[in-house]
Amino acid sequence: MLRVPLTRAVLAQSQRAGVLATSKRMQSKAPEKVEVFIDDQPVMVLPGTTVLQAAAQVGIEIPRFCYHERLAVAGNCRMCLVEVEKSPKPVAACAMPVMKGWRIKTNSEMTRRAREGVMEFLLANHPLDCPICDQGGECDLQDQAMSFGSDRSRFTDIDHAGKRAVEDKDIGPLIKTTMTRCIHCTRCIRFASEVAGVDDLGTTGRGNDMQVGTYVEKLFLSEISGNVIDLCPVGALTNKPYSFVARPWEIRRIDSIDVLDALGSNITVNTRTGEVLRILPRENEDINEEWLSDKSRFACDGLKRQRLITPMLRKPDGELEAVEWETALIGVAQAVKNAGSKVAAVAGSFVDAEQLVAVKDLLNRLGSELLCTEQKFPTSDGLSGIDFRSNYLLNSSIAACEDADLVLLVGTNPRYEAPLLNTRLRKGYVHKELDVAVIGPQIDLSYRHEHLGSNASIIQDIVSGKHPFAKRLKSAKRPLIIVGANALSRNDGKAFLSSLHSFANQLKPENSDWKVWNVLQTNASQVAALDIGYKPGVDEVIAAGPKVLFLLGADNEAINKDNIPKDCFVVYLGHHGDNGAPLSHAILPGAAYTEKQATYVNTEGRAQQTLIAITPPGMAREDWKIIRALSEVIGTSLPYDNLDEIRDRLEDIAPHLVRYGRLEENNFFAQAEQLAKSQSVAFQGEIDVKQKSLADFYMTDSITRASPTMAKCVQAIKKGQGRAYTY
Amino acid sequence: MASTPAKRIIQQVRPILSVDRDEAKRRVLSLYKAWFRTIPFILHKFDIPKNEEQCRAKLREEFLKNKDVTDVRVIDMLVIKGQMELKEVTMQWKQKGHVMNYWKETVEPKPQDFLSKFLSGN
Repeated sequence: MLRVPLTRAVLAQSQRAGVLATSKRMQSKAPEKVEVFIDDQPVMVLPGTTVLQAAAQVGIEIPRFCYHERLAVAGNCRMCLVEVEKSPKPVAACAMPVMKGWRIKTNSEMTRRAREGVMEFLLANHPLDCPICDQGGECDLQDQAMSFGSDRSRFTDIDHAGKRAVEDKDIGPLIKTTMTRCIHCTRCIRFASEVAGVDDLGTTGRGNDMQVGTYVEKLFLSEISGNVIDLCPVGALTNKPYSFVARPWEIRRIDSIDVLDALGSNITVNTRTGEVLRILPRENEDINEEWLSDKSRFACDGLKRQRLITPMLRKPDGELEAVEWETALIGVAQAVKNAGSKVAAVAGSFVDAEQLVAVKDLLNRLGSELLCTEQKFPTSDGLSGIDFRSNYLLNSSIAACEDADLVLLVGTNPRYEAPLLNTRLRKGYVHKELDVAVIGPQIDLSYRHEHLGSNASIIQDIVSGKHPFAKRLKSAKRPLIIVGANALSRNDGKAFLSSLHSFANQLKPENSDWKVWNVLQTNASQVAALDIGYKPGVDEVIAAGPKVLFLLGADNEAINKDNIPKDCFVVYLGHHGDNGAPLSHAILPGAAYTEKQATYVNTEGRAQQTLIAITPPGMAREDWKIIRALSEVIGTSLPYDNLDEIRDRLEDIAPHLVRYGRLEENNFFAQAEQLAKSQSVAFQGEIDVKQKSLADFYMTDSITRASPTMAKCVQAIKKGQGRAYTY
Repeated sequence: MASTPAKRIIQQVRPILSVDRDEAKRRVLSLYKAWFRTIPFILHKFDIPKNEEQCRAKLREEFLKNKDVTDVRVIDMLVIKGQMELKEVTMQWKQKGHVMNYWKETVEPKPQDFLSKFLSGN
């Protein structure tokens, strides 16, 4: 059996290798390096470094199939065999720690023959279906057969018995399996059990009969399941919605940022013929490592469905009519002029910083301050609310979360609200000393955690020190309190903010720079909106009764027919005709995140920009340009004509918005607490989270609601719930 | 002392065709006349939707484009280019489209300001 239980694997590894699973603390104890020679190049490495890692340090890449930096070492593909001088047999470079003075030959006759042999065995049992295989062109087996394989084949099927064949598995609507192609590297199995925490995949049989699968017929249900497609070195696991769509060499790749959750994962958008075909993760150690959540990866087919492609105005008989831009702009401008200063705007979850700034500038010029976001955040009198950035950010940074030793999650389910933050926490739980406790409903986080209860009064107990968990938090060296943005948007949200924030400041982490207070945002636009000065929550707008209301992709039904005045002229500006659009009197079609160069700020406060992968469909335009054009028709032209000029304006308002990729240090925790302290604390009722199970994860916003793949996922889960093997 | 050699150099610039403005003017006028006389032949040879009057107006317009040029050498150069053009037309090296290019009625100017760029889709 190839797979050892994880704890044992980690233990064995740390005994054997010492360096892979150990933290920085242990490394600092034993820094004495040993010298080894890779192809006669001397290199100093820490004891316990594997041959493969030592070779990587001098820039020599040893071919491998099963080895992966972020997964446990399996050592079963044997592709990384190299010769070590005075050793009778070649050694597996990925699993063998170096010894002092070893001379490793990565290109000797013995090494090359070993590789050729391994390739020959693999290819003897691998189908020759590269022309119809989706992995073609980005297949490790293809590439390595070319560079390290033998130049002739000894494979002759004399009996016409055919090659080894394995039945395909159905593991869900996202991953297509062609198990005959599997070379048993077990990367998918290790990923599922180590990173995803869903121990569904495994092997059955041995030798030639070995099969990778789920043992019983069930779906591989994980919120980050798509990553096994990237991990699979061959075409055994491929992208189901993308199957037979395009070849890698005909695709254009554009680096961008994901906006479907608030983490701002780095992605590469793959396009061809003006369509987004697939989305792949891009490596960023600080945010998503090299993983991507299924929603971000597979919801891209929602970008070409249910789109608004032409401006529309509502006719007197109540029908929306497609019109030219000129007509639409004049219609909206007329309404805005008649409204005077009674104009308001509500920002939804996909709005970029450029648009936020343009709308704010326009409304301010019209004499209105009624700008808000859909999602609430406690701001009421006396509370510092959004005055300090540290109040609403994930202050400790995403990457640092894995170093924590005690995490308290309040009113959030990171597994579905921010899957890649959850993998960080899981990484800390598995490889380091991280414990998690949850206040909220019973949820499955994919790792063991303590459930403190769901009543909000528990927070009161912890803060006052009555609850035993308070003591643990106080004694923790690197504690974290992560509060969900949805918990803070409750009516008693200010109680959460004031009590937990001041409690977080009381804690004494080992390092005084360690930040305990963290908010996990759920919308990609929220942080930028609050930075720019939008007010959270729509109450103020509703109370003011505006004559003209701009909905900037606001689809979460905070604004509906009943809570706005009857004569209010609603302008919907967005890319999908979702919940907000039917309310509106005018529709101005905007661009989705793959169609514009725009700034987004993630939950830790890091500004990043998307790049243009395709052009907006039909007559849709970049959002800030729509506002700029509208301002000219109204007669108060905004002073920027191109992206550089509006970025200058962004910099004037908040310089961090254009410092792409940088994380700004957050401060003023004490001052924020001072203001928060004066509040009387009143918690009410149970704490709930919106996304409790995987079925709730897939369709949460206008893009995912328009995506057929996401709908299939929900359907597959619902269908599976009646089966014998539930999940 | 320093100004005299410089002056001498300016005086000694080699003429292209004409030595003074009068001569240049004569050359321009003769080119104009040559074109003027060719117009009926152009209309005969090329099937263009223009009449003599329009062609004369265009000819005048083209010459008047350079009415402010004072440098004799530049005037000479323009005359040479005009002669080349004339030859291209009379020898029928130009096609109908090339001749019609003097009018350029089908070219729409690209939008310059933000709003018209926005409406035209850029």
